[in-house]
Amino acid sequence: MGERERPAAEAALTEYAELHGCSCKVGQGDLEALLADAGLETGPQTDTSDRGDTLLGVGDDAAARRLRDDLALVSTVDFFTPVVDDPYEFGQIAACNAASDAFATGATENLSCLVVLGLPRELTDYAADIVAGIADALAAIDGEISGGHTVLNPWPLAGGAVTATAHPNNVRSSAGAAPGDVLYLTKPLGTQPAAGALRTADGEFAETVAETAPRPVETIGSEAVTWMTTPNRDAARALTEHVGALTDVTGFGLRGQSRTLAARSGVGVELTRLPVIEGTPALSRLFGYGLETGESAETSGGLLAAVPPERAADAEAALADRDVFFRTVGRVTDGAGVELVDPTVEPVSL
Amino acid sequence: MERVDVTGEVCPRPALIVRRELSDLDDGETLFVEGDYPPAERNLRRSCTTHGFDVRDADDLVDAEDDTFGLLISTGSDERPED
Repeated sequence: MGERERPAAEAALTEYAELHGCSCKVGQGDLEALLADAGLETGPQTDTSDRGDTLLGVGDDAAARRLRDDLALVSTVDFFTPVVDDPYEFGQIAACNAASDAFATGATENLSCLVVLGLPRELTDYAADIVAGIADALAAIDGEISGGHTVLNPWPLAGGAVTATAHPNNVRSSAGAAPGDVLYLTKPLGTQPAAGALRTADGEFAETVAETAPRPVETIGSEAVTWMTTPNRDAARALTEHVGALTDVTGFGLRGQSRTLAARSGVGVELTRLPVIEGTPALSRLFGYGLETGESAETSGGLLAAVPPERAADAEAALADRDVFFRTVGRVTDGAGVELVDPTVEPVSL
Repeated sequence: MERVDVTGEVCPRPALIVRRELSDLDDGETLFVEGDYPPAERNLRRSCTTHGFDVRDADDLVDAEDDTFGLLISTGSDERPED
């Protein structure tokens, strides 16, 4: 990534937004109401036979269109407010997060990104570092910036419109989970309390936060940044051929994303294990984020995959081959909605 | 009744400010909290309930503008053990 000069401005990026990272996403209920009001359906997608060349649409993680018998184009847009103060890291996280929606459909080839960037007038010095972060994160997944749009905006925003391709037979969505499937998650949870701790680590509450955290806040924060800047491409490549349903965990949290997967697949989900960045549960209790009930928002979270039991061993081997973190977090049932079944909270450290 | 206004405060500061105020209260006392940050109400309910406080709606005690919320938080119940 080369030498980077720090911008002269000393303002903290996160101070310019009232909501951070994927937390700025409109709530699940509000979004469903909006789509319903607009006449757009997002119900169970178990029958997709009448959708022609539109493979994925409203309510899916990304749109997908069959261009040829052997080629589908996947497109998605995702941008959000800063979750960290470092503009370069913010760019990296924003790029990983935007690309993740394509990866969650199984599309990992021919990746390109039109950058969406909005900054308050007093933070325009940060633009180059944010874009450099986006460019480097894309380069690491064989993608590139192919254009973009930049505006002045009271809240900083970064992300992009990402396109990628896949074979139409390999396009996946959150619909398609079946009772008995094993649920896998490919990153630990806890980015929201980790980022919240970083934002309060040197202010008037520094002592409270440091005393609450069982590890140094800087360690928890830097591990969270490492996870948020880890692309989901390898996880997608490992999982696509084995999964019934695939999605990624973002602002709705594990529980909300599981609820979506359950509703769109017409099944129930039981969550039995919550892998968390070590130290984040205590911070979540302090901040009231609901990490231990799967409700805490995640930024650039892992893939959530429903794998038929007979494919589980192959899926795990494929993930291990690519050195992708994964945990079994639950199972799919013939019920409805999401149930937490006395989940084991497992601390994960790097 | 003690009062604290977390209007304009951004997450996770509302939870930290309320926690500090609650630590100054005696048993049986009640803290009135008002604020306007959308996720703060849910987060405050969660953090206070987790730590054994009783939380009640008090939207009728604030000017009903947009996202403004009010909560009454009482001490007195047993605090859950920290783990």
